[in-house]
Amino acid sequence: MYNIKSRFLRVFLLAGLVAVSLGSTSTALATEEGLLSLHYDVTGKRLFKIEANQLFQRTDEGMAWNAIPLPEDVTEGQLLAVSVPYTDSQTLYIAGTSIGVQRSTDNGETWQELSANLPSREVTALTVHRRQDETLYAVIAENGIYQSEDAGNTWKKMDSGPSQKVNRLVHSDMEGSMQTGWLYAVSDDAVRLSMDCFCGWRPTGELDAGSVYDVAYSLDNPKRVYVATQQGLWRSETGGQEWQQVTGDGTVLVALTLSPKGTLYGLNQKGELLHSEDEGQSWAYPDA
Amino acid sequence: MAEDRPSSSDASRLEDGKKVYRQYCASCHGIQGEGMPNWEGQNALGELPAPPHGPEGHTWKHSDAMLYRIIAEGWRDPWNKTDRLTMPAYQEILAPTEIRDVVNYLKTLWTQEQRRHQADESEQAPFPESSVATPE
Repeated sequence: MYNIKSRFLRVFLLAGLVAVSLGSTSTALATEEGLLSLHYDVTGKRLFKIEANQLFQRTDEGMAWNAIPLPEDVTEGQLLAVSVPYTDSQTLYIAGTSIGVQRSTDNGETWQELSANLPSREVTALTVHRRQDETLYAVIAENGIYQSEDAGNTWKKMDSGPSQKVNRLVHSDMEGSMQTGWLYAVSDDAVRLSMDCFCGWRPTGELDAGSVYDVAYSLDNPKRVYVATQQGLWRSETGGQEWQQVTGDGTVLVALTLSPKGTLYGLNQKGELLHSEDEGQSWAYPDA
Repeated sequence: MAEDRPSSSDASRLEDGKKVYRQYCASCHGIQGEGMPNWEGQNALGELPAPPHGPEGHTWKHSDAMLYRIIAEGWRDPWNKTDRLTMPAYQEILAPTEIRDVVNYLKTLWTQEQRRHQADESEQAPFPESSVATPE
């Protein structure tokens, strides 16, 4: 919990940083890819962006990114993931290395750490279950994947995870799972897939596309999956069994998410937001 | 059953489960539950070879209800390109109590920690009532 004074000071400082950032986008330096993240909140109809260890939100209608106050100890770590429950737009979860998993139930006004029975605070990826608001999955570096079924209050180790470092984790309700859905794990070299009962990780289809950055799927048709890579965007109509490169304008995105209406949103290496209304073939700045 | 010595009736049911396992399951999953070679990867047809049932496998991650359902109804991996089910259905072959017995036999192949994990998973997803044996 913050006291009012420190919260006000932090909001004031963050607002100043946002203003500086928005005023200097043309000179922004390329950001390390793994440190940018994008997430669409279905209920709140807004985008979340992680950039430079800060969390921003932007509504469908709004043009500006607004900073969300974060716990003070976030500055000691690296913020890597944000995820929100499907039906509760006031609750946010964030995670990162030396940050653990933290939850806010008032859209960032206050935060609660949820790492008490995790083995460490070195969380590299986090996702909320697509249909179960209180089910979370967190990847602990050099340890494995933990599941919580009570909104992060308690955790249980489910799996050692892929042997490769997981940078992103996304839960999908695609049919065919023995349990309730699937987990996509994005590593530098590939996207891997497991049923959420953790019956083993399988590589998705061949992706000869350099580094892999992010994955997103269509909420209406979960078999349609997109993956952002060093060599552009790829799409699958089979849940990732096969990939086809999207022939487009060559835009390289390092973070990717999809709205229920089918709009693709991405961040380029500068952290700039782009969107596509034609399944990734062409990209434009929404501000333009 | 996990930590305690089973009663004579439990031991008898475990023996029944072992017999069912050896008759119907062992041809794919191995006589000792060792699974097929290269079980962790799909083959050229997109099929997943039968996994082991011991500590190295993932059977222990499933609740009683799910293990029962998979054995009864079978299961098809969505990446399977053949006409076969990935796991055949046994509800026309085995009685509900036999399915339950074979699941309980599989539990003897797990570590204590795995049995505890699986028992937790089964709290909210137990065996169906129809599989509970009537006391003799």
